[in-house]
Amino acid sequence: MRKLLICLAALLAGGTAAAQHQHGKPGAGAPEPFTAAPAFGPDGTLWLVRPTVDRIVVTHSRDLGKTFSQPVAVTPEPMNLDWGPDARARIAVDPKGGLVVTFAIFQDKRFNGRAFSARSSDNGASFTRPQPITADTTSQRFETVAIDPAGRVFAAWLDKRNVAPAVAAGRAYPGAALAYAWSDDGAAFGKTSIALDNTCECCRLGIAFAGPGRPVIAFRNIFDGSIRDHAVVAFKDTATPGPLRRVSVDDWKIEACPHQGPSLAIAPDGSEHVAWFTDGAARKGLFYARADSADAAFGPPRALSSPDRQPARPYLLADGQALHLVWKEFDGTRTQVRWQVSHDSGRTWSATRTVADTDDASDHPLLVAHAGHAYLSWLTKTQGYRLIPLEDQP
Amino acid sequence: MRRAILLALLLGLASLCRAEAAGPLSFERGSWATLRAAHAGQPTVVHFWGLTCGPCLVELPHWGKLLAERPDLRLVLIAADPLPQEPERVAATLAQAGLGGSESFSFTDRFYERLRYEIDPAWAGELPRTVMIDADGKITVLPGVADLAQVRAWLDAQAKPRL
Repeated sequence: MRKLLICLAALLAGGTAAAQHQHGKPGAGAPEPFTAAPAFGPDGTLWLVRPTVDRIVVTHSRDLGKTFSQPVAVTPEPMNLDWGPDARARIAVDPKGGLVVTFAIFQDKRFNGRAFSARSSDNGASFTRPQPITADTTSQRFETVAIDPAGRVFAAWLDKRNVAPAVAAGRAYPGAALAYAWSDDGAAFGKTSIALDNTCECCRLGIAFAGPGRPVIAFRNIFDGSIRDHAVVAFKDTATPGPLRRVSVDDWKIEACPHQGPSLAIAPDGSEHVAWFTDGAARKGLFYARADSADAAFGPPRALSSPDRQPARPYLLADGQALHLVWKEFDGTRTQVRWQVSHDSGRTWSATRTVADTDDASDHPLLVAHAGHAYLSWLTKTQGYRLIPLEDQP
Repeated sequence: MRRAILLALLLGLASLCRAEAAGPLSFERGSWATLRAAHAGQPTVVHFWGLTCGPCLVELPHWGKLLAERPDLRLVLIAADPLPQEPERVAATLAQAGLGGSESFSFTDRFYERLRYEIDPAWAGELPRTVMIDADGKITVLPGVADLAQVRAWLDAQAKPRL
């Protein structure tokens, strides 16, 4: 009782602090995703998929992001969207202008996901009812959709279906499986295959194509001893994943998930380019490495920034002969998007330039290209969505 | 001077009562400096954890036990999820781990990089993470799941009379 009285008195004395606590409560309800993913259509229309609190909408712009159409809902009813820091709804446009949207929801509070796809064949006026990308209901997250050079739709994701059988058989099963499927139109996907087991379970994937039917996937793998370093798998054909190739031995031993996946681009000469974040014993910060081909080993990692600037969220894009690389940095006050470009297949790079900055929360910086022009696509809390042209030569 | 001490005491109590009464306090821009000032001169252990961090949830009850065993442990818990989490879940998880009465905060500002930068510019956000601050403000960081024997040894060292 005495303690309670003291508390009451203290509360009265500290009225301001108490009031602050009242309205300073962490945002009511579930976290809300804050992402915007772009794709250009063949006619130069910029398509953008964005989650709201509980639905996915698509808008488009015919003037390079200056003005946008009214949003069209992809999800017919409210859903419990995946708000993982490295997760996002995505959109891809096929050569005929058909739109494919993928996204995931949380099935429960244990972060088991369900990934869906939907298609629009009427120029974004309407979408097919979202269908699960796989029949298995265990968990799918970090679904990533991409259209191969022949116009076929490829999706890869992190899938938990192999965990329970392994555990039941008395085997440990860290992480998730890298799963994939193909579709002719993106409205429904065919048979799911597992490319490999024991990838890190909450980092985004990087996907690019070495040719028709030959996807290449970059991902954070779990190597022996819970070392979560990056690897690449290049498919030999639509159903044959090649061997796992380690991008770099960073030796990041961590029992948790870093929520930071890689980015991948493939240049016209077939060279592979990966950028990633690590906090390993061997190196810390943001790095880039290249391999001459899908059969070659990756060269030495090149540091992109200094670790005390919080470099993160790299993104690579091959646009014709140019390779663009952006990432986020924080200088103590502002978040900046830093940019480098290479014109010799990633052997040498321009000086680093800041192409955009903001003073509050922001999505990952993304890159998108059309008609020989590359753009930064970036959603920030203060400035909203921006499409910023990357002038070719800094 | 005496009044200042009394006020500080009252404010300290107020924060204790609030922590008992409701969920986590909001951790925003500037909160780290405020927290440091509030605990200045007092050996303090700040444990960063998250609802979205599996190993953190396994570790939390061990902190609950340590707190029960060591009255000299001034423990501050900060839920540092990359995206702000539901305060009720943060509070319930702490209560379940025997940490319901501890001073606790939860990241509420979506400018995640700024919060991390204020705490430690080189911290990439990985959880769990334990930061032990001695009476002189000297910081010892235990990245990952903490070895509680190390924390006990640190507490013992703080209790020794200083030269």
